[in-house]
Amino acid sequence: MSMHASSRQQVLARIRAATHPAAAAAAAYARLPRPYIRRGQRAAGSCVGLLIERLRDYDAEVVEAAPEELPATIAARLAASGRRVFVAPPGVPAEWLASGYEWRVDRGLSTEEIEKAEGVVTAASCAIADSGTLVLHHSAAEGRRVLTLLPDWHLCILRASQVVETLPEYFDRCAQPPAPHPSDQSPSLGTPVLATYISGPSATADIEMTRIKGVHGPRYLQVILVRDTN
Amino acid sequence: MSQAKGEHAILDPALAPPFPQAALPVLRNPQLRKNVAHAIDVIQAKRGRLVAEKADWQELREAAAAIRAHVLENLEFYLEQFEERCTAAGGHVHWAADADEARQIILEILRQAEATEVIKIKTMTSAEIQLNPFLEAAGIKAYETDLAEIILQLGEQEPSHIVVPALHINRSQVREIFARRMGLSHLSDDPKELTNAARAYLRQKFLSVPAAISGANFLVAETGGVAVVESEGNGRMCLTLPRTMITLAGIEKVLPRFQDLEVVLQLLARSATGERMNPYTSLWTGVTPGDGPQNFHVVLLDNGRTSILARPKHRQTLKCIRCAACMNACPVYRQTGGHAYGSVYPGPIGAILTPQLAQMHHAQSLPFASSLCGACYEVCPVKINIPEVLLELRSEVVNQERSTAGRVFDPLYLGLRVAHLIFSRAWIFHLAQRLGRIGLRFFTRKDGWIHALPSAGGKWTQTRDLRGLPPQTFHAWWAARAREGK
Amino acid sequence: MRASLFITCYNDTLFPETGRAVVRLLERLGVELDFHPKQTCCGQMHANTGFRAEAFSQAKRFVRMYQDAEQVVIPSSSCVAMIRDQYPGLMQELGNAELRGQLEALLPRVFELSEFLIDRLGVEDVGAYFPHRVTYHASCHGLRGLHLGERPFRLLAKVRGLRYLPLENMDRCCGFGGTFSVKNGAVSSAMLAVKLQDVLATGAEYCTALDNSCLMHLGGAMHRQYAGMRTIHMAQILANTESSPMETTP
Repeated sequence: MSMHASSRQQVLARIRAATHPAAAAAAAYARLPRPYIRRGQRAAGSCVGLLIERLRDYDAEVVEAAPEELPATIAARLAASGRRVFVAPPGVPAEWLASGYEWRVDRGLSTEEIEKAEGVVTAASCAIADSGTLVLHHSAAEGRRVLTLLPDWHLCILRASQVVETLPEYFDRCAQPPAPHPSDQSPSLGTPVLATYISGPSATADIEMTRIKGVHGPRYLQVILVRDTN
Repeated sequence: MSQAKGEHAILDPALAPPFPQAALPVLRNPQLRKNVAHAIDVIQAKRGRLVAEKADWQELREAAAAIRAHVLENLEFYLEQFEERCTAAGGHVHWAADADEARQIILEILRQAEATEVIKIKTMTSAEIQLNPFLEAAGIKAYETDLAEIILQLGEQEPSHIVVPALHINRSQVREIFARRMGLSHLSDDPKELTNAARAYLRQKFLSVPAAISGANFLVAETGGVAVVESEGNGRMCLTLPRTMITLAGIEKVLPRFQDLEVVLQLLARSATGERMNPYTSLWTGVTPGDGPQNFHVVLLDNGRTSILARPKHRQTLKCIRCAACMNACPVYRQTGGHAYGSVYPGPIGAILTPQLAQMHHAQSLPFASSLCGACYEVCPVKINIPEVLLELRSEVVNQERSTAGRVFDPLYLGLRVAHLIFSRAWIFHLAQRLGRIGLRFFTRKDGWIHALPSAGGKWTQTRDLRGLPPQTFHAWWAARAREGK
Repeated sequence: MRASLFITCYNDTLFPETGRAVVRLLERLGVELDFHPKQTCCGQMHANTGFRAEAFSQAKRFVRMYQDAEQVVIPSSSCVAMIRDQYPGLMQELGNAELRGQLEALLPRVFELSEFLIDRLGVEDVGAYFPHRVTYHASCHGLRGLHLGERPFRLLAKVRGLRYLPLENMDRCCGFGGTFSVKNGAVSSAMLAVKLQDVLATGAEYCTALDNSCLMHLGGAMHRQYAGMRTIHMAQILANTESSPMETTP
C-alpha cells in the first residue's frame, strides 16, 4: 500500500538508529550458543513407547500394527468409531479406504462437503516422542489443512520410522531436502511451506484451567503406529 | 478521568488509575481473587512438573535468550528478509509506525475484501491497538473465537491475562454469560457443556465469514513464514477457511531461521500452559494455491517498540515471547489479577512493557507494582531480567517526578531525601536514631510495639505492628563493649 | 581469621540483638571482628525506589569504607544482594574507573552470614542449642538473588534440640519489598496475609530467616494478630548455646 510506504522507511530508520550490529548477521548467528539436547538417548523401540505414552497422556487413542496388518487395523478403527462418511487426501494408498464406508477423496472437495464428513484418515510426516506431537506437512497423503480440521474424528497413520525423540531431531530432518520419490525411505523432509503440529486433540483450559477435550478442531484423535522398523 | 467507572476495568494506560488504586476493587472482591489464585496455582503446578521433566531446561533458556537478543540486534536485516520472502511467497507486507496506522491498514484490507464481519484469533497486539472498537465504529463486526475471548466479548469484560484472558471468571459466571447472551437458559456450569456451546455458537461463523485476523507467535525471516500456537483449533479455522487473512505482528516477533522454532517451541507451551506442546501449532508461508486464504497480509507494528529497542538496558523487554510465565509466578499478580495493571499486558512483563510502549507518558505506577522478589526472572524462558528493567524504569519515573511541584512534599519523596541526608554521615545517622527513638516514644505502647503511625507510616500500621526502637543501637553497644575492653 | 561486620542500617537501629548475636557467634568460632563506626546504609532502599544518584553515593561510601577489609560479613541477604547485583551497574553508570576497580576487588570478599559460615569458615555445626519448633522463611533475595540453596538448612539441621518444620510455598514473597510495603500497602498486606497463613500453619514457635526485613514484616503481622509465633533472625538461633541462652526481646 503506497500510502504507507513512508512508514516502512520510518520504522526501518528507527531500527537502524537503535541498533549497531557488530558483525554480519550470518556470522553472529553462527556463533549463537546451542547447549541444549539435540539427539535423544533412547533406543528406537523405547522412543515409540514414549510417543505412545505421551499421545495417550493428552487423550489420543493409539494402537500398534505390523505393516501387513494395517488395512485390517484401519478397518477395525473405522468400525469402532461408529461413523460412516469419511474424507481422505488424494495421496493415501487405496488399501486404506476400507470397504463398507462412504469415502470422499479430496480432489477439490468443497468446505461444505468436508464439513459433512464424520471423520478423516491421513498419513503424517513425522512424530516427536518427547512432546507427543504429530507433524503434518500437508503432502498429498496428509491433505489440505482443512481436511484434518473440520471432521470431528481424525485417524492418523504413522510409521515407526517417522518417530523421532526430540524436537531438534525433527528439525534436523527438515534441514535435508526431501527424497525425490515418496517410495524412498529417506527420513529427510525438507523445510515445509505449510505445517501443522498436533499434540493431542483440540483442547481448552480456559474455564478454571480444567482441560476440556475438543473445542473446534477434531475432538477425537486416533493414531495407528505401523511397526516398519525392527 | 482517573477513577474507574464502577468495577469495570480500564485497560488503556492513558486512562487507567494508578496501580495501587486500581488494585483496590480486586482486593475487595474475594470471588475474583479466589478465581485468579486457583487458576494460577493450577498452571504453576503443571508448569513445575513439566519443567522438572526437561533435563536441558536451563540450556534451552540460554539458547532462546541468545537467539532473541541476536534478532533484536539485527532486527533490520531480519525484518527485510522476512518481508522479501513473505512477499515472494505471495503475501503482502505492510508497515505501521503506530496503532492508528495499523488500524487504517487493516480497515483498508477488509474494505477491499468487502468484509463486514471478521473472525479473530486471540491476539494481544490487536487489543494493544484497540482494534475491535475501531472496526465496530467502521461498520465491521469482529468475532473473537478463542473460548476465553468469547467469554470476555459476550460478558463485556476485559482480559486479565495474556494466555488465559478469562481466568478471573469462574464456571458459574461463564454459564451466566452464555445463558444470557446465547439465549441458552438450560446450560449447566459443566465446563464441557460450556465448551460445546461455544463450539456450536462459532461453527457457522467459521464457515461463512470471509476474513480473519490473527497475531503471530513467530515470524520466520528465512522462509517468510508465520507461526501461530493455540489449543482449541479456532486458530486453524481462522487460518484455513476465510478468503482473506491478516496477521498483525509486533516487529520484534521475528526469528532468524525455521530451525530456531526447535528452541522456542520447547519453551513456550511448557511455560505458558504447563503442556509439553500446545495442541496445535500452525505454520504457513505466504499463499498456498488450493489451501487456505489466497489473500494474505502481514502488518508489522512498531507502536513504540523502536523506542524500547534504542535503549540497551531496556531492549531485553522485546525478547518476550508472551508466555505469561512471569505473571503466573508473580505474587503481586496472584493477589491483584490483571485488571489492576490498566493495560492489556498485565503482570511483571506488563509492568515493564506498558510504560515503555507509552514512552513513559503513562503508567508510571507500574514499575513500582512489584516487590522485586525475582520470581519472574527465574521463570522467564528467554531470561528477561524483569527486576533490572523495573529498577531502570523506577529511576526514570523518579527523575521525571522528583522536581515536579506535587512531589516536593510527597511524604515518600521527602522521606527518601531525608533518609539520604541521614545515611550520608554517621553522625547524622546516629542523631536521627536518637531523635527517632524520642519521637516514636509517643507512639510506642507499653509492650514495646507501635500500633499506629501517621502519614506514610500509617500505610504500614494499617495491617502490621512495628516494634518500637530498642534503647541501645548496635553501634552504641559495640562502642560500649570496646570501652570496657570486651 | 579477621572479618569486618557491616551490620546494616535497620539492624543497627531496630534489631541490635541480631548484631550482638552475630558477634557472639563469630567470636565463638574464632573470628576476629571489627566494626567500622561510620557505617550507615548500603543504599538498597534508594536504589529500589528509583533514587539512583542517592544509592550511588551510598554505594561509593560502602566501597571506600571496606576496600581494605580482609572480608565483610553482613547478616542481611537483601543488602548483600544489593551490593552484588546493583553496585556494578551503579558504578558502571555513575562511577569512575578507580571505583569500579575497587568494587571488583571487594565483591569476592563480601559474604552473607550463612555463606560466611559454610563457604569461608567451613562449619555447619556451630555448637548451637535451640530447643524449639522452627520454620524457615527463604527471603527472596537469599533464595533467588544469592542462591543460598541448602546453606540455611544445613546450619539449622545441626542445631541441637531444634525441630525444623517445613514451610509450604517457601519460595513465595512475603510482600515486604521495602517501600513497596507502603507505596502498594494494600497489595503488600494481601501478600502478607497469604504468606502468614502458610507460616502459621507450620505450627512452629519461631519463624526464622536470614533477613530481618522480611521478619519485621511477618513479625509485625504476627504481633497485630496475637499469633502465638515469633520471628527470630537465624544468627540468634545459631548464637544460642546450652550454657549461654539467648537474650529475650519484646
